[in-house]
Amino acid sequence: MAVPSREQVLGVLAHIQDPDLGRDVVSLGMIKELEVDAEGKVSFTFELTTPACPVRDRFKSQAQDLVGDIPGVTAVDVRMTANVRPAFMRPKPSEILPGVKQTIAVASGKGGVGKSTVAVNLAAALRKAGAEVGLLDADIYGPSVPAMVGSRTVPEQVNGMLQPVEAHGLKVMSFGLIYPGEQPTIYRGPMVGKAIEAMMVQVDWGRLDYLVIDLPPGTGDASLTLAQAIPLTGVAIVCTPQDVATDIAVKALQMFRKLNVTPLGLIENMSWYVCPSCGHRHEIFSHGGAEAAAKRLGVPFLGAIPLEEGIREDADSGTPVVISRPESAGAQAFTGIASQVAARTSIQSFRQLPVISVR
Amino acid sequence: MEIEWEGGHRSTYSGEQLRWACPCAECRGEAGAPGRLARVKTLAPEELRVQDVSLIGQYALQIAFQSGHATGLYTFSLLRSLCACGECARTRN
Repeated sequence: MAVPSREQVLGVLAHIQDPDLGRDVVSLGMIKELEVDAEGKVSFTFELTTPACPVRDRFKSQAQDLVGDIPGVTAVDVRMTANVRPAFMRPKPSEILPGVKQTIAVASGKGGVGKSTVAVNLAAALRKAGAEVGLLDADIYGPSVPAMVGSRTVPEQVNGMLQPVEAHGLKVMSFGLIYPGEQPTIYRGPMVGKAIEAMMVQVDWGRLDYLVIDLPPGTGDASLTLAQAIPLTGVAIVCTPQDVATDIAVKALQMFRKLNVTPLGLIENMSWYVCPSCGHRHEIFSHGGAEAAAKRLGVPFLGAIPLEEGIREDADSGTPVVISRPESAGAQAFTGIASQVAARTSIQSFRQLPVISVR
Repeated sequence: MEIEWEGGHRSTYSGEQLRWACPCAECRGEAGAPGRLARVKTLAPEELRVQDVSLIGQYALQIAFQSGHATGLYTFSLLRSLCACGECARTRN
């Protein structure tokens, strides 16, 4: 029996649609190094746009089944890889953070809803999936990232550039590392902007797939500086289910919309609590508030995270829960949310921003 | 200056048009006081020539004129609404 042609193989693979990008995987350029040998063995590389792809396993089995069903095919070898593409199609890389492909901000508007916990676990989950990840703590007054990743290392300076600190495979920078201990940062607004800019420009971030940026509460200097300094890929908004938190989260979301930063979606933290002694599920801060707000605003709902003692304990002891207890409900929630964030981020790689030319 | 928008539409702007549309507080006025553009009738040629354009995040352009004036951040929505092509002029009316 004749072996199939490359075109035949690509023809069947084109039936696989990427649910987030809304196009088939062949025209998206995800099929690489396709070979068909004389015995009818087909091998190719399936290059995803993120290692945290939520449909990775489905893609693999679909590809194997579709190609395996072509008459004349004796074996199928699919190699799954990932290559994060830079945000937006643009002629040249951005001058600020040139080696960083995607910048993801985590914001909430309101304080105390677990922004830093989400940012740290989001970064750790993306790292676990195999991506190169940085974590920038943009909270100048109340930096919580160093404690949550268990780092007390003071950043070193090499050739005038601050070196990020390594923790759990992440590159971390925070004002809490620069001014450790009980020293407060007493800054007026414009200084906050300068400090955040410095953490982008004067830090040697190197090559990163994702830079996760933990923003402070509020819709002022810090968020504005960030949205002006770099073309952010998008922003994930964290809130608790209660009205008082979702109302403020909506303000934060609308602020980013005004600045043309894409909302990647809403995350509901402290969504439920399972009592360890009675096993009952309690909804201490209500439930479903973020999902309802997301629906109303027309943005994705990225997922809900339970209130768990383990999440708090591990944050205090300096190991993100996705690393320390990956089987826990909390860790699984974070991992699922990280996949959703990565998928929403990938969509931005295919957006063409306005092109400006001056004559 | 020319902008090709996300949807493919192209807009062309003259330096003069952009200068008179400058949205900065000095030009527009603030706290009830009229701005410079409301007080003057003409502008010098170097005030009307674009020297440099830089991107502010992904929502605005900072346009620097040869005179050194560069305080205006032109949001993309402002620039889109300034498009002077026949098609856009018709939809506005």
